[in-house]
Amino acid sequence: MTRKHVIVALAAAALATAAGAASAADKIKIGFLPGVVDPFYQVMQIGVEKAAKELGIEVVTQVPPTWGVEAQTPILNAMVARGDLNYIITAPTDKEQMVAPLQAALDAGIKVITVDTFLGDGDYVNGPVKFPISYIGSDNVEGGRISARGLAKAIGGKGKVYINSTNPNVSSVEGREQGFKEVMAKEYPDIKVIGPDYNLDDQNKATQQTAAVIEQNADLAGVFGTNVFSAQGAGAAVVNAGLGGKVQVVAYDATLAAIESLNKGDVSLVLAQKPFDMGYMAVQFAAADAAGVTSLPKRVQTGFAIIDKDNVKDPNYSRFIYKAQ
Amino acid sequence: MADTAKIRFEAAGPGGKWGRGREILFRLSRLWAWVFLGLMIAFFVVAVPVYNGGSVNFLTVRNSQNILVAITPVLLLGLGQTFVIISAGIDLSVGWVMSLASVVSALAVRAAFNAGVPLFWSVVISFLAAVAAAGIVGFFNGVIIAKLKVPAFIVTLGMSFIVRGLGLLWSENTTVIGLPPGIRAYGNEALFYFIRGEGGGFYFFAPPEISGDMLRRMDRILPYPVVITAVVVAIAMFILRKTQFGRHTYAIGGNVEAALRAGIPVDRRIIQIYMLSAVTAGIGGFVSTLRYTAGSAVIGDPLLLSSIAAVIIGGVSLFGGAGTITGTVIGALIIAVLTTGLVMLNVDAFWQFIVVGAVVIIAVLIDQSRDLIIGRRKPGRA
Repeated sequence: MTRKHVIVALAAAALATAAGAASAADKIKIGFLPGVVDPFYQVMQIGVEKAAKELGIEVVTQVPPTWGVEAQTPILNAMVARGDLNYIITAPTDKEQMVAPLQAALDAGIKVITVDTFLGDGDYVNGPVKFPISYIGSDNVEGGRISARGLAKAIGGKGKVYINSTNPNVSSVEGREQGFKEVMAKEYPDIKVIGPDYNLDDQNKATQQTAAVIEQNADLAGVFGTNVFSAQGAGAAVVNAGLGGKVQVVAYDATLAAIESLNKGDVSLVLAQKPFDMGYMAVQFAAADAAGVTSLPKRVQTGFAIIDKDNVKDPNYSRFIYKAQ
Repeated sequence: MADTAKIRFEAAGPGGKWGRGREILFRLSRLWAWVFLGLMIAFFVVAVPVYNGGSVNFLTVRNSQNILVAITPVLLLGLGQTFVIISAGIDLSVGWVMSLASVVSALAVRAAFNAGVPLFWSVVISFLAAVAAAGIVGFFNGVIIAKLKVPAFIVTLGMSFIVRGLGLLWSENTTVIGLPPGIRAYGNEALFYFIRGEGGGFYFFAPPEISGDMLRRMDRILPYPVVITAVVVAIAMFILRKTQFGRHTYAIGGNVEAALRAGIPVDRRIIQIYMLSAVTAGIGGFVSTLRYTAGSAVIGDPLLLSSIAAVIIGGVSLFGGAGTITGTVIGALIIAVLTTGLVMLNVDAFWQFIVVGAVVIIAVLIDQSRDLIIGRRKPGRA
């Protein structure tokens, strides 16, 4: 390193230390409460922990064992009862039922940031629920549209397609179904949409449901799995029926299992969200709010990476696959 | 307390020089759940502040109320289940009955309010609808078990599927929303309010209009779901201990033939027991609708096994004939204290499953070893 480089490096180090010391002075504590144990939220946790480490913030993480308000609420209440958290970053498991528990958290002085899913209608400026600081997540309706167009192209613009989803009244998968159906209705009148069936975030159930639909509809051309477990389960059913490659599957959420299916030819399109971005930004928003920033956007749209067999090896796309880094 | 285990213990006689020890062991075996709960609370009271460097405390007002609210769904399911298991049966449908009741009460309150009925009466109608729907399910359970002599395990399991389908059908496969906004207060407000620190005090029934810092220092004491559960617990205790119905429940669980010969209307009691179990689950569904301001057809499913675990930990014998309501309350508390404590220690809440599972097995072992403690005598000995 030349002398100039050394001086620049030292200056940068000094700035970083000063910043670290400053943020240590108003230390905040954040609670992270995602939806359930799955690769998507695990990558989000990596984002949360990276930002927290860089900013010197302590994070208390608890992951509910199952998806549902009866699993998420007791953990939320326990986090609130600790009395030492300033912010909670959470993916509410129901857009209506989690309003009361999260409002109670706000009353106790804990500010809320929602990631991946939203409360009310997601519009925290004009909607029925306005108290969260921000909603950081994908545009799920747009993701549904992209999935629909991808599947339509893969099956040649006509035939029967089936949607397998997780839970009703969950904002994220609801948006994807909506976008998917919208595009199919408007742009592909020759495609008939069956479903959605709800597997309640149980991969085995997704497999059973899809297998039943395959049995019933010998002319089934495509399947859309709206999230991690739906896609993996539905994809497994297609393969089990020996239809891998013949029935086209579009998978939302780029888990290693989905990518493996893509490589084998059982899945034709994988939509990767950016959970790392969601987690990282949420922590930064909390730090910014604590530092006095008042112009944080109430809606941040994190984008997608659309992965197919042509670009799966390209590092610009493969970096969005959900894996422990 | 008509408790066959105790009766058998006393009938077995003093048993010589080991009698005193056996007696102590027997009494301890009945109290062990209390002891365990006490030890667990003591552990968390010490460990939580130590782990968090003094910034977090376990036994705060807010946390104690949290725990009481957390046991509400499991306890309501467990209360009716206690009667059923004492009678040597099992009710596997309670989780889905709770879900069905949640859907029915949500639909009822929405329809009533939109038709112009004032909020309070809409809530009353919603309660009655939940109880009625649950009661009908319990009636069918009881009739098939008593009259058609089909084992309870199978009947309630089959019924749980039917109820689940109905719940999903009537909720049109989504959460029932659009409930009147005042519902949230019924599910989340409390009898008393306590504001810590400056300008604070005790308030009864209505929260003062405050905001900001004072709102943060406000604790809700005895939220309405807890009050409703306490009332149901009291009624259940009364029925079990002080009424003929309760005594008959124990008798049927102890020995159904003897109960029949003693003139107890066994069939009628069985139907009533399963109706009671379904009704408490129905109340659970109603309370859940109030708390979450929506009806959910899937809310009860994960709670079934926890409710059975609570009942067993509380000392109700799976073989029937023994157990108390208090025991079930202790069992539910153990599970809730464990979950809350683990979150406050920032430990993965999954450990709760391992611990609860271990505690359930210990409970059953203690239950079985009671026979050893009583000292079953071989025929021919004095």
